[in-house]
Amino acid sequence: MSDSVLEVKGLDVTYSTNRGDVKAVRGLDLDVRRGEILGIAGESGSGKSTLAVALLRLLKPPGKVTGGSVTFYPGGRSPIDLLKVDGEELRVLRWSALSYLPQGSMSSLNPVMRVRDQFKDVILEHAPGRRGEVDTMIPRLLGEVGLEPRVASMYPHELSGGMKQRVLMAIAVALEPDLMIADEPTTALDVTIQRVILQSLGDLRRDFGVTLMVISHDMGVHAQLADRVAVMYEGRLVEVGDVRQVFKDPRDPYTRQLIESIPRVGRRAS
Amino acid sequence: MKSELELRGVQQRFHARGVEGGYITAVDDVSFTLAAEPPQVVSLVGQSGSGKSTIARNVLGLQKPTEGSVLYGGKDIFKLSRAEYDEYRRDVQPVFQDPYAIFNPFYRVDRVLWKAVKKFGLTSSRSKGLELIEESLRAVRLEPENVLGRYPHQLSGGQRQRIMLARVHMLRPSFIIADEPVSMLDAQVRKHFLDILLDFQREHGMTTLFITHDLSTVYYLGGEVMVITKGTIVERGPVSTVMHEPSHPYTQLLLDSIPQPDPDNRWSTRINVDAVEELDDSTPADAPKPEAPIL
Repeated sequence: MSDSVLEVKGLDVTYSTNRGDVKAVRGLDLDVRRGEILGIAGESGSGKSTLAVALLRLLKPPGKVTGGSVTFYPGGRSPIDLLKVDGEELRVLRWSALSYLPQGSMSSLNPVMRVRDQFKDVILEHAPGRRGEVDTMIPRLLGEVGLEPRVASMYPHELSGGMKQRVLMAIAVALEPDLMIADEPTTALDVTIQRVILQSLGDLRRDFGVTLMVISHDMGVHAQLADRVAVMYEGRLVEVGDVRQVFKDPRDPYTRQLIESIPRVGRRAS
Repeated sequence: MKSELELRGVQQRFHARGVEGGYITAVDDVSFTLAAEPPQVVSLVGQSGSGKSTIARNVLGLQKPTEGSVLYGGKDIFKLSRAEYDEYRRDVQPVFQDPYAIFNPFYRVDRVLWKAVKKFGLTSSRSKGLELIEESLRAVRLEPENVLGRYPHQLSGGQRQRIMLARVHMLRPSFIIADEPVSMLDAQVRKHFLDILLDFQREHGMTTLFITHDLSTVYYLGGEVMVITKGTIVERGPVSTVMHEPSHPYTQLLLDSIPQPDPDNRWSTRINVDAVEELDDSTPADAPKPEAPIL
């Protein structure tokens, strides 16, 4: 059996609306292996983001997990049932074992705090024991995402969109989490900045061994970054496999359509 | 009346504190011509801070360039007579990025359309006006009964953006200046919007200046493309040529940065982060030019 970080079994997520219930995630089974980059693909409305927030326990009403189980295996600790954990135990898990890079993370930084203080906020709150290291950690983490140490004393409004995104990535790996879930990390960025972000995500895995779950509607992102790809359609997982297999020999007709519908822009990189 | 829109040596400087010289140059010596005949789609592509929206503001007469001129039918748009200016304002129509900001949240969306009817005297009676509005809504594939009488917050972003297109359809301008009109729409709705623009070109002979940072929409629209960086147009030509055989290093960088959907064709080199950051929106357009990024 391969070493899993996360085991999802039969997950159902339902949104209650006044026109009845809508199942956004239906009977989803998924294993996330330690150290891998797993891409979650699918079109708008396929349930990708709902899956992410459900796993992170950030689902808000009218959304509700209506079935299944999610087991999280943090390194060196006993398995945790993510759907049952609550209160203080959940708070401790966040950032230190399980971190999140939300969609539209441009607006996730506190506008009136310097970057340095936002790092301290997370580190001291979730790992008070590391107080002494904070000042050496920050420049190292910024360097990891290609930012200079002076960025630490800047305010978010002094940073470009791509820089803000990278600051958040650095904060997300600060406490060496077991799993980081990135929701559409490149959407709304210029194409050259997108490439920088993808490069940095690859670096984080290489240097920190963090397991990454990358949600994106852009198949190009998965082809460039992922080890395995899971394809969602109408709340179901239609295919999971090695990135090469999924792109070269898709098993499911929907995956095939998805790949065939990608516009091939420009010349092929050699 | 069929005319031409021309930018001749347009330069736009903005005052800025803490910058050498006290100003930044957002647009530098930009010249191009948009012809109404034959109708065409011309894309202007560049990343944040490249000056593309400033050009849109110049063309629309919202910002007077510090140097050079914007000509409509051969005349400087900032020196038109009242009647000529009215004609220009009708013949050159904007579509902006944010489908939320355009509407006053206190009024029903009908108001935007009725204003156009009244301001430009499109019809003589209310019933004919309503007929015209309904016809234009159908032309952008909206059902009048689903949108009329509603408030902006009751419509989706895609519907709101199409209402702006319906307004354009009513006025039948020669030129549409569309500044990032699809960047806030998701993929399916985006395609819808682009198809309507192409319809307008084919069926109503409208020429569009399409401003975007997204190369795949440029590719979808076809026609001509101009690539802008740091306020200067560095490459122009038919989309098929520019996208397949880019001649300027900046165009090459843009194209090479598109993630190719082929796991056997991954980037084998690293992108130079500093060089890209130099191009980013935090940098004034007239900052020292960096070396071309190493790829």
